[in-house]
Amino acid sequence: MTLFSSTIDQLHNGLDGAELRQNTIANNIANADTPNYKARQANFEHTLDDAKRQFDSQKTDGRHVNFGSGHREAYTSVDRSRSYNHNGNSVDMDKEMAAMANNQIYQSALIDRMDGQFGSLKTALGGQ
Amino acid sequence: MAMFDGMNATASALTAQRLRMDTASGNMANASATRGQMVDGEWEPYRRKMVTMGSEENRPSFASQLQNAEREQTSGVQVTGIVEDQTPFQTMHQPGHPDADEDGNVQLPNVDPLKEMVDVMGATRSYEANVTVFDAHKAMKMNAMEIGRS
Repeated sequence: MTLFSSTIDQLHNGLDGAELRQNTIANNIANADTPNYKARQANFEHTLDDAKRQFDSQKTDGRHVNFGSGHREAYTSVDRSRSYNHNGNSVDMDKEMAAMANNQIYQSALIDRMDGQFGSLKTALGGQ
Repeated sequence: MAMFDGMNATASALTAQRLRMDTASGNMANASATRGQMVDGEWEPYRRKMVTMGSEENRPSFASQLQNAEREQTSGVQVTGIVEDQTPFQTMHQPGHPDADEDGNVQLPNVDPLKEMVDVMGATRSYEANVTVFDAHKAMKMNAMEIGRS
């Protein structure tokens, strides 16, 4: 039996993702006037998709590569095909600001749940 | 991932935008300075200055590309330099002017107040946006501090 449920781990992953996203947005907005800068995007809500895509593969040799991907950490990607500005910049300020507001709410919800988890644990430990 | 990466990126942008604002102010202040710098013993009017910016990411060297690929980069913005606008000076017929040539023409700086105003507006808006980002970042960090407090 584990003391900390996997929920806390998942919340932790979410918080890490939220931090990466916040940093990425900060960087995008910082470079809103930089010629040829292409906006980055943080991706971390892929874990569910990844889990669905995983399937067992028949391996006849130990050296075979697994099908399906294992757990993937949060990562950033960049789309170089777009420009919103004549100088090759692709930062859409409105989009970034909206994403940041979203991220703030998301993070505060996660923190609320994290607090809830610890609260439950405390109650259980107190034996009340 | 360092804890203050995002904040540092924002801070670099605030510095860069402030420099842009200062440069525009300098241009406006010198909009009619006929003696900007001495070239071959002759006074030349003030030349408009512009701030150029770049991000660490756009550096073409292999080393920096590799570095970016390795870590999640949040390096912020960099001021790559202040360049002088090479567009021709404006000329005005003003025979009484001490800097007028033999035809009575005076060369004036290539500063266009309209352009400067647009630049000032842009810098202000960007600065505001970055302040908002900084506030958000700070709020999120303070929020995280509250985990398990109650």
